[in-house]
Amino acid sequence: MTVELLIQLLVSGLGMGFIFALIAIGLALIYGVMGVVNFAHGEFLMLSMYATYFAFALGGLDPLVSLPFVALAMFGFGVAVYYLLMRKVIGGATHAEIFATFGLMVFMQAAAQFLFGADYFSIDHSLLSGSWRVGGITLPMPQIAAAAGALICTAGLYALVFRTELGRALRAVSQDRVAALTMGIDADRINALSWGLASACVGVAGSLLANFYYVFPRVGAVFVLIAYVTVALGGFGSMSGALVAGVIIGVLQVISGLFVASTLKFVPVYVLYLAVVLLRPRGLLGRL
Amino acid sequence: MDHRRKRGSARRALLRGFAGGCFALLLGGAVLGTSAAHAEQVVRIGALYPLSGAVAKSGEDTLNAVKLAVDVINGKYPDSHLPFAKPGGLPGLGGARIELVAADHQASPEVGAAEAERMITQQKVAALIGTFLSSVAATVAQVAERNEVPFLIAEAEATPLTERGYKWLFRTTPTSREQARDFFLFLRDLNATREQKIKTIAVVHENTLWGQEFGTSMEGYFKEFPEFTLAANIGYQQGTTDVTSEVQRLIRLKPDVVVHASYDAEAILFAKTYRQFNFAPQGVLAIGAAFSSTAFRNALKDDANYFLVREHWALDLAGKNPLTAEVGKLYQDRYNKAMDGTPARAFLAMMTLADAINRAGSTEPAAIQKALQATDLPPSSLIMPWDGVKFDAKGQNTKARGIFVQTLQGKPVTVWPFNIAQAKLVWPKPASE
Amino acid sequence: MNQTSRAIPVAGLRPTSSMGHAVAFAVLAAILLLLPLALGGRPFELRLLTIIFLYATMGQAWNILGGYAGQTSLGHGLFFGLGAYTSTVAAVTFGLNPWLGAVLAVLVSGAAGWLIGLPCFRLRSHYFVIATLIVAESVHLLFSEWSFVGAAIGLELPIRPAGWLNFEFHRNKVPYYYIALAMLTSVTLFVVWMERSKIGHVLKAIRDDEDAARSLGFSPLRFKLIAMVISAGILGFCGTFYAQYVLLIDPPSVLSPSISVVIALIAIFGGIGTVAGPIIGSVVLVTISEYSRIYFSGGGRNLDLLIYGALIMLVAAYCPGGIMSLVRRVYARNRKA
Repeated sequence: MTVELLIQLLVSGLGMGFIFALIAIGLALIYGVMGVVNFAHGEFLMLSMYATYFAFALGGLDPLVSLPFVALAMFGFGVAVYYLLMRKVIGGATHAEIFATFGLMVFMQAAAQFLFGADYFSIDHSLLSGSWRVGGITLPMPQIAAAAGALICTAGLYALVFRTELGRALRAVSQDRVAALTMGIDADRINALSWGLASACVGVAGSLLANFYYVFPRVGAVFVLIAYVTVALGGFGSMSGALVAGVIIGVLQVISGLFVASTLKFVPVYVLYLAVVLLRPRGLLGRL
Repeated sequence: MDHRRKRGSARRALLRGFAGGCFALLLGGAVLGTSAAHAEQVVRIGALYPLSGAVAKSGEDTLNAVKLAVDVINGKYPDSHLPFAKPGGLPGLGGARIELVAADHQASPEVGAAEAERMITQQKVAALIGTFLSSVAATVAQVAERNEVPFLIAEAEATPLTERGYKWLFRTTPTSREQARDFFLFLRDLNATREQKIKTIAVVHENTLWGQEFGTSMEGYFKEFPEFTLAANIGYQQGTTDVTSEVQRLIRLKPDVVVHASYDAEAILFAKTYRQFNFAPQGVLAIGAAFSSTAFRNALKDDANYFLVREHWALDLAGKNPLTAEVGKLYQDRYNKAMDGTPARAFLAMMTLADAINRAGSTEPAAIQKALQATDLPPSSLIMPWDGVKFDAKGQNTKARGIFVQTLQGKPVTVWPFNIAQAKLVWPKPASE
Repeated sequence: MNQTSRAIPVAGLRPTSSMGHAVAFAVLAAILLLLPLALGGRPFELRLLTIIFLYATMGQAWNILGGYAGQTSLGHGLFFGLGAYTSTVAAVTFGLNPWLGAVLAVLVSGAAGWLIGLPCFRLRSHYFVIATLIVAESVHLLFSEWSFVGAAIGLELPIRPAGWLNFEFHRNKVPYYYIALAMLTSVTLFVVWMERSKIGHVLKAIRDDEDAARSLGFSPLRFKLIAMVISAGILGFCGTFYAQYVLLIDPPSVLSPSISVVIALIAIFGGIGTVAGPIIGSVVLVTISEYSRIYFSGGGRNLDLLIYGALIMLVAAYCPGGIMSLVRRVYARNRKA
């Protein structure tokens, strides 16, 4: 066990962790505003990865170039999903959102395979491929970029939520819906906005992820369980919590993959979640 | 109208609707079943593949090959030199055509068994083919045995499948144990030609049935091949997000050779991570076509070179067998994707089944079973580099052979057995960058 | 017919209505008992009904905890899987009779429910949901590696002569149908009883306002645990049934997270916290998924799942309370007319 290896693991873990965080932040946002867990969140990721891939394969656009467009398109998609589906579901019976978003998940997965087939696509050489070597440490460029993207995204969201009028309305709705309504805030629009923003976040995550991960209809399923755990560990509704939790999970799974058993590398992550919420029932930074 | 009566009628309507729905459902099924009763000139074959879920890609590729084979047999490609292509249909049955009944078994043994039973009893299929996954093959084999309908396993490799003495089960593909042995034979062969010997082997496998079985099979051969030692047997979870820790372990162990059992997704992930960390053993070998697939080559471009795959089939063997080139071209033209060993095995299985049905001259399952037992196909009629197709008492094909294929300049090329190699093996794997 | 036509649950007409109900149920029971005779050469429909009963039972079990006690679990597949593994391991290694194995399965799953519930019931709402999800996933991962239970390869049940004693039927699967039907009927009757019993009332009180229930002197933890143990125990039996039905189990087919989601979905889709909900949910969802698979999956383009997903979304959007809410709406409209 060398120091070098430890640093290497830390670097790799951080890289993955920021990706987990970026995917989870969108979930956390929707939960914070509406108290809803989006089961199709992974499929939003899948959609943005396909968008990034096709922009590259057909339009020759580097993921870094197409990123803002993908994010924008995903914003629109999120708003559309809200108005066409979620608005009808919310306020109905308990857990109607579970089956609405589950249906959306099945539908999107099937639609992807229907349209693009089950094959794996990946972007072979983008601006962000390759890696740096510093001493004995390998710094994979795509992961570094993803980490940076996650940080920028979180910072941007934070600025939006805590520094703008719109953000104030968003927080108002998430803290007390009824009071916000009486104060003349259009909760419907705020909900739509949170779906849009969350989808844009996952759009950025998809764009960055497509630099080093392949796209296929079930790619969302690979990441989404970890995203749920990330949100829960960080504390539902807390974006900074999601960031912290994502990083912790990323590092922990790499380390336990080396020392425990590769197939069970997520078990310590799950145990950590249980331990944390049993001691702190609202996660690391969440509110009840 | 009296409101009570109206409510009653609404309720009745609801009940009627429900009952009617149930009835229509059953009836619909019945009508379908009878219309499915086969006319004389059609032989129905049931194909079961995973068309959704984690291995949907493989299921899709494989079913595509079966469909291609059926179309060839039915005379859709009259210029082809493949069996049955010219006459179109099965001459033994007066030119009967094959009708394929395909379904998604969703990677579930239960669904597979249910579909098999439905196909046999309600669609009246003469035989079953499939299933890519060994777990599903196990339950389908039970159903086939009970209903006395032949079931030909085209790609599922788990060794125990053909070890329980089922009478209606046949398998053209070699088992995972036979394939594991090829790795040792290849490495021993290689050691004989080189000064610097290969000693340590690390096995990396995914953790579903296929990978675990292969890992165990590999472990079992170190006694028979004492010149090699096992550096580590590393399982990883199928559908993992990253493999950094797995690769770090390999880097620390420094094995001479890494042997992989991975599906397409993680093959790409591993290769990319190897490149990122400059992990360079003498060679990376793999079972299954994942490390030489079209998706893999597209994803890694130049870095896809030099990986070695224990294959069943390679396009470059066309020099020895023109049928190989023909099938490769048909598949490529139709699906816009290079054919690899798994679809090739599915194609071969369908051809084998058609041959048996043709010789049986009947769609009676028992006649087809007899014909399958008597199958003895010469190498010249196959698209595979095998010694033939001939089943032992347990239904296992005894004449399958393995080859090793290396990707050179973006193309998979046969490099072993050395006597049929189309290009010289590049060993050790040159460092990238 | 007139009798049934008056069988409407309207206050003031209770005696007639319950009589009408009784007749309706007798007819339904007769149909269900005789149906296998009409399905002689149609094993697929027989299996479809068997699976519908199985999933409906699983939905009922989930509903006890999720619908009545208000504790949404997305890890209930765990108890199903544990049940399947318990009886199968007992049969494979100790040669235990599957019926005794089923009893063991109920006990093991129930105990697991208690063990998991004890810490997890300290968590509220979505923290609980995620906890159930990952406990189930952890067990799934562990079982995929644990060679004692066959790891990823799974376990095959020893083939015994077909018969009721062996809980194994080979050529003729009608007995499975009856076992599944009996399973569903008894669990449904239990839920009907429970709904009216003290336990049911306390559970609903906990669901609606946990603190209020506590102030009335009921320990929410205790009642949640009761609901969890019953629910898990039923699923344990379902697991044994599945293992005996398929005769092969492996981690993906009995422990995968998608099973947990489907169990919950069936109850929610039909109508959460209602007796008929899980049954309706199972009838509709299983039928759609099976027939769409038969007719549309062969193309290999996932058209079947496209339809399935779209239908679930449609129901979610236009009757978010589940199918039962739609049924109620129809009743209500007729009542007004």
